[in-house]
Amino acid sequence: MTEPAIRASGLQKRYGDVQALDDLELTVEQGEFFGLLGPNGAGKTTFINTLVGLVHKDQGTAEVFGFDVEEDYREARDRIGVAPQEFNVDRFFPIIEVLEHKAGYHGIGRAEAQERAEDALKTVGIWDKRDTRFDWLSGGMKRRFVLARALVSDPDLLILDEPTAGVDVQLRHDLWEIINRMNDAGTTILLTTHYIEEAERLCDRVAIMDDGQKVEVATPDDLMARGTDTIVLELAEMPRTAPRLDVEGITDVELTDEGLAVTAMGGSQTAPAIMRELEAQGHTVTSLEIRRASLEEVFVDMTRDDREYAEVSA
Amino acid sequence: MNANATQFLTLVRREILRFVRRPYNTFLPPIITNALYFSVFGVILGSRIGEIAGVSYLQFVLPGLVVLGAISDSFENASFTIFHGRWNDYIQAVLTSPMSNRSMVAAYVSASALRGVVTSLLIVGVGLVFTSVPVANPVYLVSFLLVITTLFGGLGVIGGLWASDFDYLTVMNQFILRPLVFFGAVFYSLEVLPAFWRNVSLLNPMVYMVNGVRYGMIGVTEIDPNTSLAVLTGTTVVVLSIDYVLFKRGYGLAE
Repeated sequence: MTEPAIRASGLQKRYGDVQALDDLELTVEQGEFFGLLGPNGAGKTTFINTLVGLVHKDQGTAEVFGFDVEEDYREARDRIGVAPQEFNVDRFFPIIEVLEHKAGYHGIGRAEAQERAEDALKTVGIWDKRDTRFDWLSGGMKRRFVLARALVSDPDLLILDEPTAGVDVQLRHDLWEIINRMNDAGTTILLTTHYIEEAERLCDRVAIMDDGQKVEVATPDDLMARGTDTIVLELAEMPRTAPRLDVEGITDVELTDEGLAVTAMGGSQTAPAIMRELEAQGHTVTSLEIRRASLEEVFVDMTRDDREYAEVSA
Repeated sequence: MNANATQFLTLVRREILRFVRRPYNTFLPPIITNALYFSVFGVILGSRIGEIAGVSYLQFVLPGLVVLGAISDSFENASFTIFHGRWNDYIQAVLTSPMSNRSMVAAYVSASALRGVVTSLLIVGVGLVFTSVPVANPVYLVSFLLVITTLFGGLGVIGGLWASDFDYLTVMNQFILRPLVFFGAVFYSLEVLPAFWRNVSLLNPMVYMVNGVRYGMIGVTEIDPNTSLAVLTGTTVVVLSIDYVLFKRGYGLAE
């Protein structure tokens, strides 16, 4: 039987009063492009750091390709390439040497390490900067470099913690292309992001985390189907008050400047019944538009509490 | 070459390149400092002091200065590289790799010990400008130098893991190591001390190191070199074991 790329069970980590991971259960299959969403403080980075050995769990188990991250830490870490959100790069050396060192730490001999370092820099498009130190790179190049460092050991599991934070649209698309190519070649990707669009476009499955727990795991489409869609209908003659609609799944009906806005679960399934109900009441529907719930709205619904949401949609 | 050896050698190489490529920070200071020591203590004051233990004052203080440079630099190298790596988080590139904890400790300590040995040779080189440098017992000299640089490389690892600010590094080097070395019979013979202070001095581990290297160079010692070597070797093993346990537990490295 094929071991999952990641299997976490009953994972717990506490920092003082804060329960960063609270009995987390999560499985990521080999070859998946898996997104990890959650508000700040949800436990995403703690979980990632547990996998790579920068956080020691209090309880539970975490395995990478069947290797326990603490008991078999060498086997587990050998399969992981990680691009953290913060720039944690050796500033003493030109970037190509930093990559050679990283490859060497993974047991790759010098000649091959040099070759891999060159290839990794070419892959992310900054080969011409190979003799430059990290501090002298632009912000976008720094993001590219951190990805190159994660790639240089040719990992089976690529962990990307906010890989496109603060980068421009063009670079974001470039990085998506590189990551997608890796995934197409069989590399399992674990991605955390604040850009919901990123998860929606890239991920096979998404886990929403909150308060150190997994709230839900599903495909982006499944998650969006669970959200409330808005059906906007234009009527030949708009009534003065919103009509009462006796249709299952409707949560709200209101008159807006655009027309009659009906909020319902599964908009495309509910729309025909709404039209029939309106026509039965003597209205003539002249146009209909279904606005699907975005993953972002579903995300906000699932993690709703007293938090600030500003950063989620930033 | 197997993966373990490649991992170890990569980190050792990285460490060596770091200090070799910055000679103004690493090798020039001990050269200048020791040239000043030799000029002031050896030439100017030494000519008035005369001989101690049958050798010139310059030759008498040379082993102590070698020890001072060796332990300062091996300690400083390990503590700085680990603390700086923690401070800027780039030590995570090592920590998230499949290197064993044993290899990490061995690499940091080996590179730091090497820097201490290189510094020793530079100080001897500076000494040669001022006086002849005898080597009475080369095996002891090499053994003591290897043991004390390894010991202080190991202590530097502990210091680098413990430090939470750059001030800690200064405190350890300037306020603990340096006074111990200065009161470790570098510039004087224990014979000149009153009995009480002589006994107090024997509690200072630096006395054993200085006397050991002095025995290796000029063949004179006030403490049995075999006992010193055995105690220092034992201490080194204990310190390296502590290094390993700290790495394994992620002290200062993991949350």
